[in-house]
Amino acid sequence: MRRNLSIYLLFALSVAGGAADLSFRNDVLPILARAGCAAGSCHAKAGGQNGFQLSIFAYDPASDYREIVHGARGRRVFPAAPDESLLLLKATQSMDHEGGRRIEPGSDFHRVLREWIAQGLPWAATNEVSLTRIEVSPGTGRYGRGAELELKVTAHYSDDSTRDVTRLAEYRSNDEAMAIVDHDGRVTLGGQSGEGVIIVRYMDQVGNARVTVPGERRLPDSAYAGLPIRNEIDKLVYARHRELGLLASGECSDSEFLRRASLDAVGKLPTPEVARDYLLDFSADKRAKLIDELLADPDWADHWAVKFGDLIRPNTQRVGVKPVYLLDGWLRRRLRENVPYDALVKELLTASGSTHQYGPVAFFRDKREPATAGAFVSRIFLGVRLDCAQCHHHPSEKWGQDDYYRFAAFFGSMKRKGQGISAPISGEPEYWWWEPGGTVRHPVTDEVMPPRPLDGVAVEIPTEKDPRSVLIDWMLTPDNPFFAKAIVNRVWGEFFGVGIVEPVDDFRESNPPSNDTLLDWLARDFVENGYDLKHLMRRILRSNVYGLSSMPNETNAADRRNNARSLRRRLPAEVMADAVASFTGTPEKWDGLPPGARAVQTWNTRMSSTFLDTFGRPDFSAECPCERDPAPTIVQSLHLMNSDELQSRLSAADGRAAALAAGDAGPEEIVRQIYLAAYARPPTVDELRVASGAFSGDGVSRQGAIEDIMWALINSAEFVFNH
Amino acid sequence: MNKLKNKCSGIDRRDFLQVGLGALGGLTLTDVLRLRAAGKASDGKDVRCIFVWLDGGPSHYETFDPKPEAPDGIRGEFGTVKTAVPGVRFSEHLPNLAKAFDTFTVVRSIAHDQNNHGAGNHYLTTGRPTPTPVGCGAFVTFHPSFGSVVSHERGLRDGLPSYVSMPQMSRSGGANFLGATHAPFVISGNPDGKGFRVRDVSIPKSISEGRAENRRALRENLDRLQRINDRAANDPAVSLDEFYEQGYRLVYSKEAQAAFDIAMEPEKTRESYGRNDFGQRLLLARRLTEVGVPFVSVYYGGWDHHTKIFETMKKTALPKLDQGMAALMTDLKQRGTLDNTLVVCLGEFGRTPKVNKDTGRDHWSFAMSVMAGGAGIPGGQIVGATDVKGYYANENVYRPEDFAASLYTKLGIDHAKLLHTPVGRPVQLVDKGRRIKELFV
Repeated sequence: MRRNLSIYLLFALSVAGGAADLSFRNDVLPILARAGCAAGSCHAKAGGQNGFQLSIFAYDPASDYREIVHGARGRRVFPAAPDESLLLLKATQSMDHEGGRRIEPGSDFHRVLREWIAQGLPWAATNEVSLTRIEVSPGTGRYGRGAELELKVTAHYSDDSTRDVTRLAEYRSNDEAMAIVDHDGRVTLGGQSGEGVIIVRYMDQVGNARVTVPGERRLPDSAYAGLPIRNEIDKLVYARHRELGLLASGECSDSEFLRRASLDAVGKLPTPEVARDYLLDFSADKRAKLIDELLADPDWADHWAVKFGDLIRPNTQRVGVKPVYLLDGWLRRRLRENVPYDALVKELLTASGSTHQYGPVAFFRDKREPATAGAFVSRIFLGVRLDCAQCHHHPSEKWGQDDYYRFAAFFGSMKRKGQGISAPISGEPEYWWWEPGGTVRHPVTDEVMPPRPLDGVAVEIPTEKDPRSVLIDWMLTPDNPFFAKAIVNRVWGEFFGVGIVEPVDDFRESNPPSNDTLLDWLARDFVENGYDLKHLMRRILRSNVYGLSSMPNETNAADRRNNARSLRRRLPAEVMADAVASFTGTPEKWDGLPPGARAVQTWNTRMSSTFLDTFGRPDFSAECPCERDPAPTIVQSLHLMNSDELQSRLSAADGRAAALAAGDAGPEEIVRQIYLAAYARPPTVDELRVASGAFSGDGVSRQGAIEDIMWALINSAEFVFNH
Repeated sequence: MNKLKNKCSGIDRRDFLQVGLGALGGLTLTDVLRLRAAGKASDGKDVRCIFVWLDGGPSHYETFDPKPEAPDGIRGEFGTVKTAVPGVRFSEHLPNLAKAFDTFTVVRSIAHDQNNHGAGNHYLTTGRPTPTPVGCGAFVTFHPSFGSVVSHERGLRDGLPSYVSMPQMSRSGGANFLGATHAPFVISGNPDGKGFRVRDVSIPKSISEGRAENRRALRENLDRLQRINDRAANDPAVSLDEFYEQGYRLVYSKEAQAAFDIAMEPEKTRESYGRNDFGQRLLLARRLTEVGVPFVSVYYGGWDHHTKIFETMKKTALPKLDQGMAALMTDLKQRGTLDNTLVVCLGEFGRTPKVNKDTGRDHWSFAMSVMAGGAGIPGGQIVGATDVKGYYANENVYRPEDFAASLYTKLGIDHAKLLHTPVGRPVQLVDKGRRIKELFV
């Protein structure tokens, strides 16, 4: 508390002398924010607290001023008798206050507030200056584990003056294991190596300090010398490993690679035939051949349609069944054609027409307001979560309401005709198109917001031009800082279980990528190769790091962010359902889909399936984009253990178990086939012995034994996880 | 491979059950039985909830708030019946609930402004209005439902699902940002039907005990993906082992299995709840809460009586409701478990005072009646009132937030608690909720 007192003493002294001219915005609001009055859990929550409401992060000073000066019939502040002001009595808890004592009586904060009241509650000082930015020092630095440092925060104003606001700013660490920070900007680093960010907020400005803790025990160069390098990805990942003292695990087995790549790229278990051929192929380029085959597999499109569908597919109960069906069909068709990603996004975002004739229009029917459309596009296609800035400044990033509404303005002149939303049917078509006219206004200032891309300059758009095409042009400039990175990061996250930026749609300075050179290279390579998703996937699949074992070595057990080993991931709902169906040889029957259709072809989350619901398909009531919970749950295990449905698949007359039982293979051969189908590998000698033993139990039928072995494998970690 | 410890050492079911239960933290089935005997839990942490959802919005006139003095066209066709409390009358079609009124309170004064099914469902099953207007037919979720929050706060134990919903999830009954772990475990099917089983909690009927044992042994011997025992690695395969242990504890727990098997209930009790889907779901709900499921939601649809309200209500809707709910309350009381079981019964709103041209009543969110009993709620109490014609709640008016705050408090959950969405946005569980003080005397 002591080190910044001097500023406040100086300040208070001048106040006492009557010389200083206080400003609500620059002197009073910061104190209320720092004291926690304007916290999201207190007077700034929706509706305020006990009738007193402040704007969160002080985004609306004029309203805060009104609330304090004129609210509660003026009882909050008495210039004639400042000490009788509720504002002071409550904050110092001289009067009952649910929030406790926020400001010490007699403190600098108290004196400033009191003086401001006594001065007659000035809105602005005589020469009111505005805050332009804050500076955090040291901004970056490399430190040892457990090191301590003190941050200093300087506010810069429009007249080039500065003020030390270290004691008024708020601090937060983005990773408590890396670093913790106290109320006054004192940072203590944790016991692990890596990179941490301290987010500093003062009024509507956000800054940050990055702390790097290099690996303590760097490994000698020789440790990395023999590592296989299959492409640029490997070089860039290993380079990061060197810095952090990590060493990649060994390579996974051929079976693991085959199973992993099939599940990740096309969402299918390899068939026993494919597995056998792959394992018996001794050519040097068999991995590359496999990767090409997977990417050429017609099922590729359906698998990725589920993932993109999670992001763009609206709630059928909201926009209607037909628009969603058409959108889904459009998406699958475009993916089957492997249209370049830039063209796919352009077609979606510039669509016009009837919701009942052209799929992409469903997007506009769903995101009806410019603001929701803008926030959605920003999050899904640019990886920037602007949503917070709809109501207040983003709490940990530079984005403010201006950014939000100016981005929304690209969708500000959309027109529509037709019945609109009439849930749950929304049966009537609606037409959406662009036509000149229409603006977006700032909700607080009511100013008209000209369109402006993120981090860009406001663009002049001729009236005869659709602003959406201007937005797309900006997104598709080769060096756009967001567009390509957002998609390569998403795809990377699908293959590795964690993004280079994580969460994958939360790019911000205070959430740095785990490997920025890698992200840059992937994005550049993607753009240079025509935004081809399959090209990107081929690069990833062919890298050595994609094919690492999931078993840790002594350097990398705790690391999840740097691809030093493969992370085990539960199969997603649809993939798991299809894996069980193909392994048991019993295709699922889906309402409204042809026989033999797979779960990855279901086009809305209302299609009834206990299995998919159990394994975390998004709730059909949810507004997408839908987050999926990847964790295994007890309910999933119970379902695999006990469900009648699974048992009937195992015992189905036309299923795999029945076919094996009817054949003339002996127990050992049957076990071999089951293992290939489940795990894409033959059993070990011991597994063969244990599993074949199932045939010799008392009163066990041949088919019963087969069912039991298959049941055991479905219920094993090796089946449930991609490993 | 520590998971293989004890695996092949010949522990029999009985031992396994004892080891399993004894080793568990938190409340176990034996504790439940002990609590049942003791009858009371003080801080709400072990109160379970049976949440009866009358989807569509039941009329307050034809249930708990009849207005015999109201003019024709408002009063409706039903007479009234005396309750156990002098001066309080219910609809004549709730005779059993009238007799059992000493076991619950009726709040007649909950009012809100979300007058369509989509929004009303969301408000009354999550405690929050939708942030943007939604339509009547909307199925939306913007906030975790009561059941999901209870699951999240209580945690999972004994391998039991922590939030059960029968026979379906209500529109806004999902977990929202709390994630799939806290989504409802849906038990579909009709427990009144022959051969009904609670799904997934017992070994399939076609699998003999011996065969189940063989399978278990096979799985233990064949599940060979090497576990990463370093905790820092956060290996999900290690959690899977925990789930299978819990799963087997459940499958081999006599108490739990008995609870799932509604056929074990004496025929007399089954009859008392009504031999129909709704009555038997209530009975199953009682059995599930007794064994430790903290939140069971029973969905009963069809209360959207825009037409022929009198005919349809008296024919099936009210008799089933009356018999089932009265039996549930009486049964809980007789078993000594009423004090640690919260029972609430409500829909999304009340219905219009004026009977419409189709002899129906339309949506009316300005007054609704909520039945609440157990967990220390006084019996025989009426809270609040509507005006003489039943238009508006006008005494001790409460909002859905107050209902939500009361529900959470009864279950030992701080209703003002801040939850964080995956983005990190703080969200208060209930915004400005005040407990309905009459439920806490």
